[in-house]
Amino acid sequence: MIDTVQTASLTEVFSTKAGTIFQSDAERCWYVDFAGKFARFDYRCLLKLRKAVYHVNIEQKLLSSDKSPDVEIIFICACDHCYILTLIQIIAFKELLEGTFVMFELNHILHDRLGYFAA
Amino acid sequence: MKDLMRIKSLISNEIETLLNQQVKKEAHSSAIYLSMASWCNRNGYDFSSEYFFKQAEEERLHQLKIYKYILDMGGMSVSPEITNIKLEYNSFREVFEEALDQEISVTQSIKNIYARCLKEQDFVTMEFLNWFLKEQREEEYKARRALELFEVIGEEGTGRWQIDKHVGEIKYPPQA
Ligand SMILES: [Fe+2]
Ligand SMILES: [Fe+2]
Repeated sequence: MIDTVQTASLTEVFSTKAGTIFQSDAERCWYVDFAGKFARFDYRCLLKLRKAVYHVNIEQKLLSSDKSPDVEIIFICACDHCYILTLIQIIAFKELLEGTFVMFELNHILHDRLGYFAA
Repeated sequence: MKDLMRIKSLISNEIETLLNQQVKKEAHSSAIYLSMASWCNRNGYDFSSEYFFKQAEEERLHQLKIYKYILDMGGMSVSPEITNIKLEYNSFREVFEEALDQEISVTQSIKNIYARCLKEQDFVTMEFLNWFLKEQREEEYKARRALELFEVIGEEGTGRWQIDKHVGEIKYPPQA
């Protein structure tokens, strides 16, 4: 799946069993490999994606006893992508995104300590 | 790997969220003061009405100041929705009590953002917020002074008329 874009220029940011998020320094964007989809996200869209996924109230969905289908639609305004996910997938997606943002913070600390010119 | 988040924005996502909340708080203050100006005017307190009109305008400027800062730093400022603005007050005094409450809550909220900046070592935003800390010193002073007039002058007889007259003369610093 990844072969369709130049794999060489992509850095893996974080990966779980369910998916992987890559960063492209050259394009200044990210590629999200999740739920059978390989999608490009720019800065704003990635932040919106995170917000949308974190926003799903997983606990409430688990506890609710109504017969509504167990799927959640993650639609992000002004982005080309839309996800239709089960609750289990939402949990996995959240884990993937959380890990990714921790890596961003770590990377920021590294840049901060090593200096922007050395890094 | 490049620090893309940092390249896009000087401020972190958390600081951006807090600043947007502050934008909303300032807009809320402005709307409250406008409502107070209306109440005072309707009830014959012309000087206080004028005082609150001025306050409303100042809060609007505070809102814009933060709004533009977020944009300048590469963030996304959000125009807030303001609802639930009180129309009626039980007394002249209550208006000033709530004005002080409002200012105290703004000071607290700026302190909170400052604390977060300290944690992140966001010295740039701290320096930006210094202006607001100083402003709150003045805002709380004025609100407290106004409320004190009720004690000093008293509300009996022509008391409220005199209080209203003095509200327009409150200045900070007192000597200037
Ligand atoms: Fe203010
Ligand atoms: Fe104020």
